[in-house]
Amino acid sequence: MISKGAKWIGWTGVLMLVIVFLLALIGPYVVRHDAEKQTGMPFQPPGAEHWLGTNDMGQDIMAELVVGARTSLTIGIAAALLATLIGTAIGLVSGYSGGWVDSLLMRIVDICLTLPFLPLMIVIGVYMGPSLITQVMVITLVMWAGKARKIRAQTLSLRSRGAVLAAQSMGAGHFYILWKHIFPSMLPLVIPQFVQAVNVSIMMESSLSFLGMGDPLSKSWGSMLFYANSRSAFLTEAWMWWVIPPGLCIVITVLAFSFIGYCLEERVNPRLRAYQAASLKGAKSAVKAALPGTSTADLLAVESLFVRYPKENSTMTAVDDVSFVIKKGEVLGLVGESGSGKSTVAAAVMQLLKPPAMVEQMGIHFADRDLSRLSPVEMRQIRGNRIALIPQAAMNALNPVMSVREQLAEAILSHRKAGKQEIQERIDQVLMQVGLTPRWGAAFPHELSGGMRQRAVIAMALINEPELVIADEPTTGLDVKVQVEIIKLLKDLQQRLNLSMIFISHDLPVVLSLADRVVIMNQGKIVDQGQTLTVAHHSTHPYTRRLIDSIPRIRTARPLQEQR
Amino acid sequence: MSANAKAAEHMWQEDLLQVRALRKTYAIKGSNKYKMTVLDGVSLSIKPNETVGLVGASGAGKSTIGRIIAGLETSDSGQLIYQGKDLQRMSAKERKQATSSIQMIFQDPYESLSPRMTIEQLVAEPLVIQKLHAKDSEQRRHAVRDALTEVSLSPDRYMQRYPHELSGGERQRVGLARAFITRPKLIVADEPTSMLDTSLRLDLLQLMKELSERHGIAYLFVTHDLALTRGFCDRLLVLDQGKVVETGTPEEITEQPQHPFTQGFISALLELDSF
Repeated sequence: MISKGAKWIGWTGVLMLVIVFLLALIGPYVVRHDAEKQTGMPFQPPGAEHWLGTNDMGQDIMAELVVGARTSLTIGIAAALLATLIGTAIGLVSGYSGGWVDSLLMRIVDICLTLPFLPLMIVIGVYMGPSLITQVMVITLVMWAGKARKIRAQTLSLRSRGAVLAAQSMGAGHFYILWKHIFPSMLPLVIPQFVQAVNVSIMMESSLSFLGMGDPLSKSWGSMLFYANSRSAFLTEAWMWWVIPPGLCIVITVLAFSFIGYCLEERVNPRLRAYQAASLKGAKSAVKAALPGTSTADLLAVESLFVRYPKENSTMTAVDDVSFVIKKGEVLGLVGESGSGKSTVAAAVMQLLKPPAMVEQMGIHFADRDLSRLSPVEMRQIRGNRIALIPQAAMNALNPVMSVREQLAEAILSHRKAGKQEIQERIDQVLMQVGLTPRWGAAFPHELSGGMRQRAVIAMALINEPELVIADEPTTGLDVKVQVEIIKLLKDLQQRLNLSMIFISHDLPVVLSLADRVVIMNQGKIVDQGQTLTVAHHSTHPYTRRLIDSIPRIRTARPLQEQR
Repeated sequence: MSANAKAAEHMWQEDLLQVRALRKTYAIKGSNKYKMTVLDGVSLSIKPNETVGLVGASGAGKSTIGRIIAGLETSDSGQLIYQGKDLQRMSAKERKQATSSIQMIFQDPYESLSPRMTIEQLVAEPLVIQKLHAKDSEQRRHAVRDALTEVSLSPDRYMQRYPHELSGGERQRVGLARAFITRPKLIVADEPTSMLDTSLRLDLLQLMKELSERHGIAYLFVTHDLALTRGFCDRLLVLDQGKVVETGTPEEITEQPQHPFTQGFISALLELDSF
């Protein structure tokens, strides 16, 4: 699926390319003059005999253009093909084998990347003599290394993918894995790389020829410009028919490949696509008038929230008519299996959903303000300040190159001005609250254990004394022991600081232990909600019962104890 | 050889797989001196048709054992005696043959299935790699249908579909069918349930159990979720910092943990459980 705009651009590119190819392929049969021979008077303006006039030697310019098209396309495609092939092969081998092979190949790539293009051309040209082959060689030499790097990076990430490991565990050989699993995943990347390479090599060929370093015996668009320039075409009127046509040809060809490349690139990179879709649809168009029906005791009130995603010709509803309120000091548990839309709700509250998501709501009221109507700047002041998020993956949530203390300081400073002394005191205070001794503040994320990292993330969330904390699966992926610690900590913090919290989890026992009220979601809809104990013991909703009954117990199965 | 030693030898021979004194260290990046010990002399044995659970905290090395057995990694020292032969000393060809009767299912049902292949191609892949029924595509197809039926997926509905059209639970069944198609004697299951929703976890284990009963398959079940091993595993090994610290039935270990690590682990679980 590509956006309409990109498709249009792509087809324009194809059309332009067809014109250039037609020029190269059937040109010789239409233009009857020989580009190498003098067929008219020098400097003849365009006319019936010579459609685009003649040059200083009386050669037909139209005929030259046709020959030039062949040269440019041949060199462009040959060099791009070689560079892409070599780059892909080296990148695959290097990324897949790793170890010293990888190191060696990557050093060679580094060297090639630093090679200066023009001097290289001059040196090689002197040794081999200027010719088509020399040009192809130089362009390939300059271009393959960049491709190899890109392919290697991709291979590295594919090599540890589950599907590759699975094949390996079935006893598959290296060649089989490379050919059947890695290369096909690479193709969508290789093809746009090739198109871009054609583009660059045509430009390179033209520049080389224009500087007189091309093959003097074969005519190309660049060499036409070289002769036009050296025979002072610009001093006469001849530039109009001698300079503009080859110039135009280069522009059209390069543009054509760029357009096609852009279109392909968008197909490979879905992010580009997402931004386009949004501008087309006008994501927030359907905001209706908000009802001021919320009481002041409610800290957050979400009314009729819908989130939809476009899906081939239709939409997929991720969040379907969700409404709930949170009172001050209350913990709301949001429970559901993966794909139930619980995290999407949180992202919608934080106004973090980006296109292609389409959000509709009657209102998301936070402390008497409708968050859905705030400007991005206003929202930024609330986010991380009055509403804070504790995200799931603690390792990814922290900046690996900053110490915990620096990150905490940054979190404060992004919302208010504060003196150094004040900042340090606040950081010490928060670190103590989350159970880290202040000296750990100097540590970098990788120096912390999983549990400590999660504490640091909680500290980040609490640093600006938020009124509402949204914890999105804060214990998932942690060891059982650490999970217990973190849950205790959150419980304790919530009581001490009287936090209001949305606690999102697929882990029902964890939620039952923390939340005052629970909301149970399934396939985007709220299927059940109520006070935690009531839901746990008395809910008759089949989905809720299934969730509760499927909790495996390590000792004999027994009913939930009334111990909260 | 004394009678005792002979008896011991005999017992060893009954095992499908013996892992003896397995050691594995990883080099720490940027340091020539220090290495991280992942496995510190682990020994274990699996009898035919037996389900052995390997539990422990993350980083205890439990996945590494599974990966070494499945041939995804090599050990620094130690032996893997499979049906009386050392897997790590086999030639590449012999090893390949042996691996057709050792298969693996993975943690992530989204990643471990290539998105470009249909379910039929995915399930048939071990046959392709092992060059089984190479000439007879009808037989291959038949084998795929069989394997899918074994994991309760209707072949007619699923064979031509792609992984992205399936739910997590269905994908994990496809993974199981793919492991089963070569009729293995041992399946290494590396946290196969951890990415599934709670309500589906027990279903998958039930299916694995039935498969094992029908076809005599042994499992090495790697998990951090002790609660799941009850009723599924015959025997548990508790791993801590690269060493086996305790063995026993799931009941023994959950009711009367002996080793301090296991005790701490169980009490943390109980605390979670009691919420």
